[in-house]
Amino acid sequence: MMTANTFDLHTYWTRHLRPRLKPLPYLLLLPTVYFVYLFTIMPTFKVLRDSQTYYHPNRPAREIMSDLSLPGIEEAKRSIRGPHDVGFAYFRAMFDPDTVEGERFFRAMRNTIIYVVTTVPISMLLAFTFAVLVNRRLRWIGSARIAFFYPTMLPMVSAATIWLFFFTPEYGLWNAALRWFGYHGAENWVINPDLALVGLIIVAIWKNAGYFMIFYLAGLQNLPEDVYEAAALDGASWWVQMFRITLPLLRRTTLFVSVVAIISAFQTIDHALVMTYELVTGEADLLLYEIYNQRFILQNYGFANALTVVMIAILLGLTIINFLISERENE
Amino acid sequence: MKMRILLILALLLTTGTAAIAHAQDPVVVEIYFPIAVDSPITETLEGYAATFEEANPGVDIVFSYEGGYSDVKNKLLTTMEGGGDLPALGIMLATDIYDLRNAEAIVPWDAYISDDYLADFFPTWLENSYYDYDLDGTAEFYGIPFQRSTVLLYYNKTMLEENGFAAPTNWEELATTAQALTTADRWGILNPNSWPYWVFQPFAIGAGQNIVSESDSEVFFDAPEVVEALQFWVDLYEVYGATPAGVQSNWGDAPGLFADGAAAMILHSTGSLPSILAKADFEVGVMAVPGKEGGYATVSGGGNLYLVAGTDDATAEAAWNFVQWLTSPEMAVDWSINSGYITTRQSGLELDTWTAYVAENPQAADAVAALEYTGREFSVQQLNDVRNILHSYILSVLNGEATPAEALAAAQAEAAAILSIYVME
Amino acid sequence: MNETQSFKRQTPAEWLVTGITVLLAVLWAVPIIWAVIVSFRPPDDDLGVDDVWFGNTVTLASYQKATDLAPFFPDWVGADAEGFPGHSYYANTLEWVLLALVVQVITVTLAGFVFAHFDFVGKRFLFYFVLMQMMIPTAVLLVPNFITIREFSTATLGIPKFIYYKEVSLYDTPWAIAMPYFGSAFGTFLMRQAFLSVPKDLVEAGVMDGCRWYHLLLNVYLPPSYPSLVAFGLVSVSFHWNELLWPLVVTSDKARPLTMGLLRFTQLTDIGAQWSLVMAATMIIVAPLLLAFLFFQRQFINSFLYSGVK
Repeated sequence: MMTANTFDLHTYWTRHLRPRLKPLPYLLLLPTVYFVYLFTIMPTFKVLRDSQTYYHPNRPAREIMSDLSLPGIEEAKRSIRGPHDVGFAYFRAMFDPDTVEGERFFRAMRNTIIYVVTTVPISMLLAFTFAVLVNRRLRWIGSARIAFFYPTMLPMVSAATIWLFFFTPEYGLWNAALRWFGYHGAENWVINPDLALVGLIIVAIWKNAGYFMIFYLAGLQNLPEDVYEAAALDGASWWVQMFRITLPLLRRTTLFVSVVAIISAFQTIDHALVMTYELVTGEADLLLYEIYNQRFILQNYGFANALTVVMIAILLGLTIINFLISERENE
Repeated sequence: MKMRILLILALLLTTGTAAIAHAQDPVVVEIYFPIAVDSPITETLEGYAATFEEANPGVDIVFSYEGGYSDVKNKLLTTMEGGGDLPALGIMLATDIYDLRNAEAIVPWDAYISDDYLADFFPTWLENSYYDYDLDGTAEFYGIPFQRSTVLLYYNKTMLEENGFAAPTNWEELATTAQALTTADRWGILNPNSWPYWVFQPFAIGAGQNIVSESDSEVFFDAPEVVEALQFWVDLYEVYGATPAGVQSNWGDAPGLFADGAAAMILHSTGSLPSILAKADFEVGVMAVPGKEGGYATVSGGGNLYLVAGTDDATAEAAWNFVQWLTSPEMAVDWSINSGYITTRQSGLELDTWTAYVAENPQAADAVAALEYTGREFSVQQLNDVRNILHSYILSVLNGEATPAEALAAAQAEAAAILSIYVME
Repeated sequence: MNETQSFKRQTPAEWLVTGITVLLAVLWAVPIIWAVIVSFRPPDDDLGVDDVWFGNTVTLASYQKATDLAPFFPDWVGADAEGFPGHSYYANTLEWVLLALVVQVITVTLAGFVFAHFDFVGKRFLFYFVLMQMMIPTAVLLVPNFITIREFSTATLGIPKFIYYKEVSLYDTPWAIAMPYFGSAFGTFLMRQAFLSVPKDLVEAGVMDGCRWYHLLLNVYLPPSYPSLVAFGLVSVSFHWNELLWPLVVTSDKARPLTMGLLRFTQLTDIGAQWSLVMAATMIIVAPLLLAFLFFQRQFINSFLYSGVK
């Protein structure tokens, strides 16, 4: 009992805390912490605050009776330009499809989800296929690896520019190839609202498959050879080896690649800036594109901030899910 | 060590940014200019700047070339917000007047212009230049016409004549001519779908109803004439098979296809005339778009010169002197000859340079003749939103997802909802 | 083990796999091959059905025209494009990419070192604090970060207003583009991992000898960790070289990088599509990275493998 009581703050301080409170580590960490604070932490709180302000600087500063077209706002005589404090009205509007904001939000969310659930699995499947194909000791196989990987090195804006031509009606090579396979549908993959999102998806898959390939390739090269030798002795076919041994052993790689793929799918819109900017009327807008568009083109400041908040929430949610899954894997 | 690094960082920061500020001795008039990638326009403009600087020592004219019109506008607004160096002048779409004024990006020219000066411009160019922002009953003048164009119907005269057709004079003739000239590797007519409202307006006007009035808050998307115009677009491929079905034709591809003989007729901007004439090995005809029952119709387009807000008096004065010189009849004609845009001044048509040019290039005279049938280009408050609505519904009709009447009624309802806050009783 | 098999000694099944590989590789390579070929056609050539590959002549005219139209290269290279005197897309891209790289190398080395070497109060908290930057990518925060750049002042740097105050407009400078990347959670994490794998005995021997912290860092921790630092550098440079959205928001003329220069070429307005010209512009901006990749394939691929930790 006495020993337990001898624990006192003074010894804890001198023995444990003080040696661990020297200024040097904090000083060395300061630049990183400062820049992370300035460009990640502080802005996150700033958008939360700014998402509560109505401000349309491209509307005239005129006072009329208005509810600002936002749900839960009392009608009053106020400027249609703003700024006005509207609380969480933008978040209510986002989930009310009758408002302009709600319609935009639903459309952007729908597009983003379609985009993610198509680009991620397809590019991962291709990545795995490529990895299996180039993971052979064969002369010239290095050229195939280059062919699959080089799109990763291109800026998205150049990739999209090249594909702009491939998607041209009549003489674009993508359409020529499709026609050869008997396709006779619509051909303008850039300006046709029904096709524009597919166009973005195709470019993203083409660009990213090679990047994901290298993770599978590294995974394949680290597989234990003896397992395969044993399987071969048992007479297991190539397919059995693939599905019973290779894929299960690469489960962690797959999980990891899918996280990288999903996060990058959310934050890449450079191809949309080339392909759909001003040409498509919103039918192919992804969430981040909508943020850019609302803030810098349509100048709906409050809504752009509210969309950013949603985007942050989604990304944090994904991080938590990823964390939970990897914890379970580790058990 | 740590402190030293921080100090160095801070030092780098201050020196890096201090280097930006620099003294300016002559009055610098910077102009944001939209420019398509390839055109001899830059050389022409540099020549203008040099000529003007020679006659006006102490003034430095700097053209800053951007991508398209919307790039210029977005860049001006972002630079203004970001606190960057602003130009004195910007050439931006005539239709962006409301957005630009509302955002306090531009100021009126009223202190400089006179009625005499304006009287000589073709009236159609001035239709999107006035805006009564403060609702005091007097509209201020913001946009001086400079780089102006209209929609034109380009037709392959040689091909039409070889097949026994004259230039069409109404929709029926337009459709049947296009139908007869369509072959396996050639379209009768191309209506580019990349920016549909502009090419669509001549059809609406040709049916008897423009989609906008003089007002900044009124649209007529669901008028029966407008519905008929959209139906005619659909008929061109559904009934006549003379144009690609659905959303197909790119704005950028159409002139090349026309010049290569892969399209007998196209709708395009006056601005494409020089490049088409340079490439085509046949006789090119241009005219306003035939109306439904005869007559002609087209719509104005292109950019005006705006005075950017925050320009100091001395610079604004110099900018105005330059603008006045640049828009003089002589210069307007020179600009038209060099760029393909239509001259803005009526008296320019009497100049010898113009008559000599037209003798060589009769198409230029035909392009000017189209001005007689020009309606007001689509411009209302919150143009981006309202235009997107119209585009969206036009394209959905072309994609076969709605009938013209349904789509345009929905477009009208959505547009009216947005514009309701601008309707002043 | 490391023998490469020659084509001739393949079984029919292997031939089939090889065939599929070749087919897919060619399909994947078609876009860049097309772009290279078309960039050597004359700038005003119209492409059309059955005329999308080789033109009648091979010429550098499109490159010439692209460099005349836009200030890709500095004046002293000899291009006479109109632009802001003393600014070119190449110089701008290099400037901001290197600025970001130099600062990052310092910050991530220090931060990685702190997390690997020291034990201090709040270490876990600060580690997660820094990791937040990986969870919320900078691209997503473009709206508030634009405002931070716009309103940058001495107060943002932590200097109290009563001592000194000056507003510093970073808009349209390389600093504006580079600054959000100055702290890098990815780099910090990568360097911490590298430093942690340095044998403890080496570190303890250094401490025994009375090394100051910077001696430890420079002589004990860094030498075996250079591969990680190089990998981080390669990823950082390739990532920033290709960046478009953020520069689009915070620059206008003087600091405009290559990617924005190319964007201008894609916004075709009144005049028809000129594919050869646009492809020449594309090649001008992708050539350095693509060539570097062809020569240092293995280093790039290994570096990008690290980038997965993101």
